[in-house]
Amino acid sequence: MLSYVLDRLKSSLVVLFVVSIITFFVLMIIPGNPAQLILGTDATPEAIAELSSAMGLDKPLYQRYLSWLLDLLKLDMGKSYVYGESVTSLIARSIPVTFSIAIFAMTMAVIIAFLFGMLSAIKKNSIIDYFSRSIMQLGTAIPSFWIGMVLIVYFGVKLKILPVSGFVPIERGFAPFIKSIFLPSLVLAIGEVGTLLRIVRSSMLDSLKQDYMDMARVKGLGWGKIYIKYALRGALTAPLTIIGMQLAKLAGGTTVVETIFALPGLGRLVLTAVEHRDIVLLQGLVMFITSTVVFVTLIVDILVMLFNPRIKSFHQGE
Amino acid sequence: MNNTVELKNLHIKAGNTSLVYKTSLIVKEGEIFGLVGESGSGKTLTAKAIINLLPQGLTYTADEIITVGKNMLTASNEEKRDHIGKNVGYIPQNTVFYLHPLIKIKNQIGDGYIQHTHKTKQEALEKAEMLLSKVGFKSPKTILNYYPWQLSGGMRQRCNIAMALMNDPKLIIADEPTTALDTTVQKQVMELFKAINEEMKLSILLISHDLGLVKRYSHSLGVMYAGQIVEAGSASTVFDEPKHPYTQLLIKIIPSLNIKKNEPLTEIPGFVQDKDRDSQGCLFYNRCPKAMDICRVKVREHMKEDHYYRCNLE
Repeated sequence: MLSYVLDRLKSSLVVLFVVSIITFFVLMIIPGNPAQLILGTDATPEAIAELSSAMGLDKPLYQRYLSWLLDLLKLDMGKSYVYGESVTSLIARSIPVTFSIAIFAMTMAVIIAFLFGMLSAIKKNSIIDYFSRSIMQLGTAIPSFWIGMVLIVYFGVKLKILPVSGFVPIERGFAPFIKSIFLPSLVLAIGEVGTLLRIVRSSMLDSLKQDYMDMARVKGLGWGKIYIKYALRGALTAPLTIIGMQLAKLAGGTTVVETIFALPGLGRLVLTAVEHRDIVLLQGLVMFITSTVVFVTLIVDILVMLFNPRIKSFHQGE
Repeated sequence: MNNTVELKNLHIKAGNTSLVYKTSLIVKEGEIFGLVGESGSGKTLTAKAIINLLPQGLTYTADEIITVGKNMLTASNEEKRDHIGKNVGYIPQNTVFYLHPLIKIKNQIGDGYIQHTHKTKQEALEKAEMLLSKVGFKSPKTILNYYPWQLSGGMRQRCNIAMALMNDPKLIIADEPTTALDTTVQKQVMELFKAINEEMKLSILLISHDLGLVKRYSHSLGVMYAGQIVEAGSASTVFDEPKHPYTQLLIKIIPSLNIKKNEPLTEIPGFVQDKDRDSQGCLFYNRCPKAMDICRVKVREHMKEDHYYRCNLE
């Protein structure tokens, strides 16, 4: 168990290291001098050269990479040109926004997907199955920006019960916080629920066909035991993996939804960094988002292992 | 004597194809009833119909299905499930996936018992330990802590047997219980069945393609061919005076019973048909050495005391 976690941790660190190299050098290759961008087109060549050396841009690439990497380890990712603030504090400020939306959205998606996925597998070809399959189709097919706008118009403008945009931190009260993240989370949940529902349904269908289900029925167990203890227990691995991937994706920021709802999250930060060629900010963001994805994946892998004793015993060397 | 199972004119269909047709059988209280036949002859389906376990997509009709005193044709689904759980133990053919691979033995062996007796988990585990040592485990406590895939096929089979006995059932349905086991374990398992049958007076429906095994252990038997029982009766009658040509051929080719040294194994030429099983004629017609023209269109059913067979010969 511990050796498995250490193993996975090691490979995660390797991934992060490789990503740091790619991030740094690819962004350096992109044309455009940051000093020029900061000073504008009217700047004199002398001023640009001065700023370049002040920013360390005249040093060799590998030196710049090493000093960037060392700073990164101290959680110092440099200063953003656009905001004039440290990248670390910019990211720290966006985390609550993006993470609360991501977690709330996944909670909704998981509840709906498991409820309808299980029901539609158990009652295959019933009304509830057709309904679930429509959810799958619609969720996957409708673009999130359109749903977002429809929801804003209906709940924000017509009914006036939910805010149209903006983020209220949880310190300012739980109800306003939930209200402010409800619509964006719902939009994200609709986007993710289709895939997850499909996986839950097919895993359940597969599990229901297994021989152990015959045994559960012949023992005369109640529906709860039959469907949750036996069927669902055998159908968890694939959905858990998908949930991890989806959560990792959402935790990395969701540009479209954050833009529609004017939320100051990671996605918007990425957008700004790209638009303004804020390379320092972009490097920091890519590193942070990669770390998040790697971390969430690690957690999910450990969870999947805990749920699947066969993998566990394999790593115990049995 | 009461009957544990009464099945009359069972007819199982997948769409328009008949899989089992006009099958009747009676398992008397306290007897081992052997159901023999080739693969695909409908043995397992017939047994599954008795315990309400037919796979989805199959439909069935019958004049009567009475399992341990309950009419399965009129009971609601809930009633059937509850009744079967309380009174019937099922020992499946292939043991690999009948125990849930992700749940420890201790967490699945007792849940039927807890469900029906409302006892605590502790009591269920005590009973499970007792039964596991009865089926031959030296240290049942360690077995309880294993996952099924950590056990060998024979061990899993014995766990299944222990699990089937948890509720002191009146009927055990054992579907090829020894197929996956090696010969020494086979013998252990069969002796265990015999002991259980004698000690607890419970009925066992033993499904097997091994006629030698059935001859040795069962009191009565039914021979199935292409979805029909072609001959049934007490073991002594059927083995001493087989009436149906199929039974006669089967008995003749049991290697352990009748083959002499260096004599090549004989076989019945042809295959079991899987179409037109609901034909009114004899289904063995194509392979029967004594076939007559009338066999194609019509077949007579005989019932002499307890000896049943369907053949146009006397």
